[in-house]
Amino acid sequence: MRFESHKLFRILLNEASVYKMKHNTDKDLQKLVDTKEVYLREDLPFEAPNKTIEKGPLFRSVEEVSPELGESPTEDSASSSSSLKSEEYSLQRRDFMKLFSASAVVASTVSCVRRPVEKVVPYVHQPLDQVPGVAVNYATTEPGINSLGLIIKTREGRPVIVEGNSQHPLSQGATSAPIQASIQTLYHPERPKSPRAKMGNNKVFDVKWNEVLEKISSLVKGKKVGIFTGGSTGHRQKFFKDFLKNVGSEETRLYTYESQTLVAATATAYKIAFGVELLPRNSLNKANFVVGFGTEFQDVGIASIYDTKSFSQGQSYRRGTLGQFIQFESRYTNTGTQATERHPIAPGDELGLNLSFVKALLAHKSKKGSKAEISSIEKVVSSQEDYIAAALKRSGLEQSLFDQLADKALKNKSVTLSGQSGGADENATLLQLSCIMSNILLGAYGTIMHIDRGWMKPRTNPMDLQRFLKESSDLDVLFVIDSNPAFTVPESTGIKQILEKIPNVVSIQSFPNETDEYASFMLNGHHFLESWGDEEPVAGFYSTRQPVVRPFTNSKQAEDVLLWVCAHIGKPLPHADYRSYLKTQWKKIHAVLGNNLSLDRFFDVILRTGFVGKLKRQSLSPLKDLSASFAKIKTMEEGYILNAYLDSRLTDGEYAESPLLQETPDGLTSICWDTWVAVSPNTAKAIGAKYNKVIEIKSGSKSLKLAVYPLPGLHDLSVVIPRGNGHSNNISKIFAGIGKDPLPLLNAAFDPLSGVIVTSGQKVELTPTGETYRLCATQKHNDIANRTDIIKFLPLSEMSKNEAKSKDLDTVPDLYPELEVGDYRWGMSVDFGKCNGCSSCSVACSVENNIPSVGREQIMMGRTMTWIRSDRYFSGSVENPKVTFQPVMCQHCNHAPCEPVCPVFATTHDPEGMNAQTYNRCVGTRYCANACPYKVRRFNWFTHKWNIIDDNPIHRNPRALNPDVTVRTRGIMEKCTFCVQRVRDAKHKAKADNRKVREGDIKTACQQACPSDAIIFGDLKDPTSRVAKLRKDYRAFSMLGGDPEHKHYGIKTLPNVTYLAQVTHDGSSSNSGSHDSGGHSDESKDSTGHDHDHDHRHEFNDNEG
Amino acid sequence: MYTPGDTVDNVGYHPDQPIEFPHDLHAGDKKIACQYCHSGARRSAVAGVPPLNTCMGCHKLVATDKDPIKFLKEKYDKNEPVEWTKVHDMPDFVRFSHQPHILAKVECKTCHGDLTTMKTAKQVAPLQMGWCIDCHINNGASTSCQTCHY
Repeated sequence: MRFESHKLFRILLNEASVYKMKHNTDKDLQKLVDTKEVYLREDLPFEAPNKTIEKGPLFRSVEEVSPELGESPTEDSASSSSSLKSEEYSLQRRDFMKLFSASAVVASTVSCVRRPVEKVVPYVHQPLDQVPGVAVNYATTEPGINSLGLIIKTREGRPVIVEGNSQHPLSQGATSAPIQASIQTLYHPERPKSPRAKMGNNKVFDVKWNEVLEKISSLVKGKKVGIFTGGSTGHRQKFFKDFLKNVGSEETRLYTYESQTLVAATATAYKIAFGVELLPRNSLNKANFVVGFGTEFQDVGIASIYDTKSFSQGQSYRRGTLGQFIQFESRYTNTGTQATERHPIAPGDELGLNLSFVKALLAHKSKKGSKAEISSIEKVVSSQEDYIAAALKRSGLEQSLFDQLADKALKNKSVTLSGQSGGADENATLLQLSCIMSNILLGAYGTIMHIDRGWMKPRTNPMDLQRFLKESSDLDVLFVIDSNPAFTVPESTGIKQILEKIPNVVSIQSFPNETDEYASFMLNGHHFLESWGDEEPVAGFYSTRQPVVRPFTNSKQAEDVLLWVCAHIGKPLPHADYRSYLKTQWKKIHAVLGNNLSLDRFFDVILRTGFVGKLKRQSLSPLKDLSASFAKIKTMEEGYILNAYLDSRLTDGEYAESPLLQETPDGLTSICWDTWVAVSPNTAKAIGAKYNKVIEIKSGSKSLKLAVYPLPGLHDLSVVIPRGNGHSNNISKIFAGIGKDPLPLLNAAFDPLSGVIVTSGQKVELTPTGETYRLCATQKHNDIANRTDIIKFLPLSEMSKNEAKSKDLDTVPDLYPELEVGDYRWGMSVDFGKCNGCSSCSVACSVENNIPSVGREQIMMGRTMTWIRSDRYFSGSVENPKVTFQPVMCQHCNHAPCEPVCPVFATTHDPEGMNAQTYNRCVGTRYCANACPYKVRRFNWFTHKWNIIDDNPIHRNPRALNPDVTVRTRGIMEKCTFCVQRVRDAKHKAKADNRKVREGDIKTACQQACPSDAIIFGDLKDPTSRVAKLRKDYRAFSMLGGDPEHKHYGIKTLPNVTYLAQVTHDGSSSNSGSHDSGGHSDESKDSTGHDHDHDHRHEFNDNEG
Repeated sequence: MYTPGDTVDNVGYHPDQPIEFPHDLHAGDKKIACQYCHSGARRSAVAGVPPLNTCMGCHKLVATDKDPIKFLKEKYDKNEPVEWTKVHDMPDFVRFSHQPHILAKVECKTCHGDLTTMKTAKQVAPLQMGWCIDCHINNGASTSCQTCHY
């Protein structure tokens, strides 16, 4: 009672002060106006939105600058009503009766609901390392292109989160979006439960493993056997060759294919240039001047996470320096958004312009490279003068640009990166050769690019696909293992006919795919989280893969199937399973790196850490004569050029069955659940198309209809279509009817040197059809009312001048009482200059926080559920705008507008600075979402069935849920919690050690996943923490926080999330942005020390080898 | 038999268990420490019902002639877990963790009652939010919503 009365007294006091304030309003207000702390209507610091929007420095879609290209409101509503068929959405009478009776039952039972009786089922034998409720982590390796070392967090034996292994040099703790989402494919309900076989009239039957293996063995015996599989750098290829030899086939019958064609093209180029098939390993943190010709090293790349990490460490602003990245590209890549200077070029011109750069380097008398090398390069360049001139003309660039570039490049630590990951053209290998030439002249080898020490190993063998197409017709049995040639190889190559002709195709896949259609046996293989394996991504550096969970379905590892087949035909290999095969192979590694441990012990230790290595060295012969290769140069096509590129989320469709990835918007277009065709705004106008208008893309007799997305920054000749969608309808409910596949448009063409399939550079015709199709875009015509305090740019000169100055974002004059602050004040710092829009954070957040995928229709209604989104802003000209991504999550405002409007105190302020959302209090008024100026609150329109295991894959399997986070039901508001479960966990751990939470104890899911270290989380109360230092940095600003230096305080929400303004080079187009650099106020001048900008980097040890 | 929900706060909930486990004998007469069996309490959010091999650690030799032990032995030999009924059942939106409470030296009986005088466990404390908050206020623990709800 005493407590209550005390509280009442305080409330009365507050009332009194408010009353007092009200009656002195005029005087007080005048004072605030005089001190510019409050603005009257006339002198608002920022323009209030008018009806007619003035063109600002930033725009979010092309229609803000070219309204004629946007969807017109009338047309939009007309088309949407036609696309949403009335019968789908109206309630039929019978359905209504069903619903009515169901609700009546609910109403009659709801009054006497009892708490459910729950059972506790303990282990019979509790494993020693398992404590219920405590996570167990396993180290493993991704099978995909990045070979990331991963840590899989398991709870009670079930994998729940995938994180990067922070000790592993290739991942350094980060992951890509597809790998984050791979946890969902593990639990995917559409994974087959047993092997299947086609019998009789091509009818598919479930069969037993024993039967199917015996049948396959009888087919294999004494026959010509081949294997078609994806790439691998470990012992997998050797195993397949051993198998082929053992069953009496030839080793050459192993065909590797991946849609990531850059690997084969680069490996071939190095073979031609230096005689060894290899890929260079880049240390981009050692470079400060990067020249890119169509490079996508941050999108799919060869080691995109490794390169993104080192790029962001080397190139981003640090102590008055800022790297330069000059990119020439024909499509707008996420990598290109990181460029300090970007030139849209005609598709196919990458080679010509790279050669032009080489020519300029030669003209500048580069001192790098031996005399012989230089003369060899000179020979090539002089023979290609016409080609260079044609490319320059077509892209509208001058040789003088490259002369300036060469001049700058030679004065800096420079490197050239070239080539798309997937969109190879017929000059793909030559482009790599010209990249090699420019890197020789820049002296990049040995310092920034490593080819003689710890080079990267190619995953696929060049020419394999071409060999397969030529010689596979005589095969009796073909094993297709974790590969989908029927979908990822263009139809025009005749791949389907070849697969049809082979009498017995055995398809072993972890998830069903199109190739199954051509197979007589469809075996369910393991997911990579259930398999054994290893990789040697970097020569001498080994990374292990181990199962982290027992197989979920009745699946088998492909290698084990092959071992079984060997045993059944009476030629057993001396290994019980693939694990023991690996162990035998690891004897060699053990001999070198064994460190006096027994092999068993060594193997166990390495499985625990996930990797071991000592970089190999080799000496390479000098550059060989390249003129013979350049004789095969292909001239560029005229007209509109198709580029069917590898989407960084779905790649070639490998990950299309993941609803999480389907719902992750593409960085630049913000489209999800769809395939679009991106053309430049000028081209859209020229062909009479606009946003959402369907055009027909014709290539010879083949055609494809797709809706247009006019993307600023594309070259006018580029026609860009992402791959990954457009699968057959009968495989998965997730991608049935979603998107279209551009590959059938392509003519069969190969790069003559590396044999990679050509997916860009072919001529197409564009004709409008007059139809409309609404693309599922999450971000288009939002009006940002010319606000300049959303994203900010800082010219380098201003920044370096004010390096020592610090900012104070926390002292804002207002009428709120002071906040109580607990032991900690959690805050986040987001450096959006580093963000390339890869969406890794968003996927990681969804997995960590049990965020549902809602599907295309719901997204179209604006019901996105992701707690963190990447906002994309264009600035500058429509022809070549700068793109800036800004990750936006709940800003955890100290004066949160959402808090006072909640009628039930469901959203409250935590004394540790977090804005807390209590789900069980929430009644779903959605007032908070209306009040939130950042639009980060998400409302559950439905209960996204969590608690049942059903066959609808869009529902998250309950076993895949993070048990540390409550799932939300219909009618509940949710939003970013700063991963409060991780904060709690760290606090409990700290308490057990009798200490406070330390810097680095907590990493939020988004921070953990971010490949460019753009997100930092920590304690703002601890002045030594990185996040506290960054909040005082001169770059720091709060979103919608005005410009405190000039006493403009914006909307005064006092967010605990700090953004860092992007530092741009003086005079670049981007700093036309916002910041007026005049008159700085004299704030405190203490130095903040920027060494916090650098993470501890687990690099490959330089002294080894 | 009580089922949860018969009273608002569930006090007195005393469900049937597969065997009549005598807490009074183990924790009372024999003075076996609570965390000998509920060993998760100091390490984890959940205290954990002991696995069968913990029971059989002693009962391979002790009291093997008694019916409940025979039942356990049979289950153990068949490698079948025993399904116990949860007594102290927090709603799923409450994130209670044993570990910090044990570290703060909160006695088990504060929430679970004096098990040394009970046979199978029954709910003694209401475990309602007000009851939790009272203790948190009196002991200066956090009362932020996010302490338990996230």
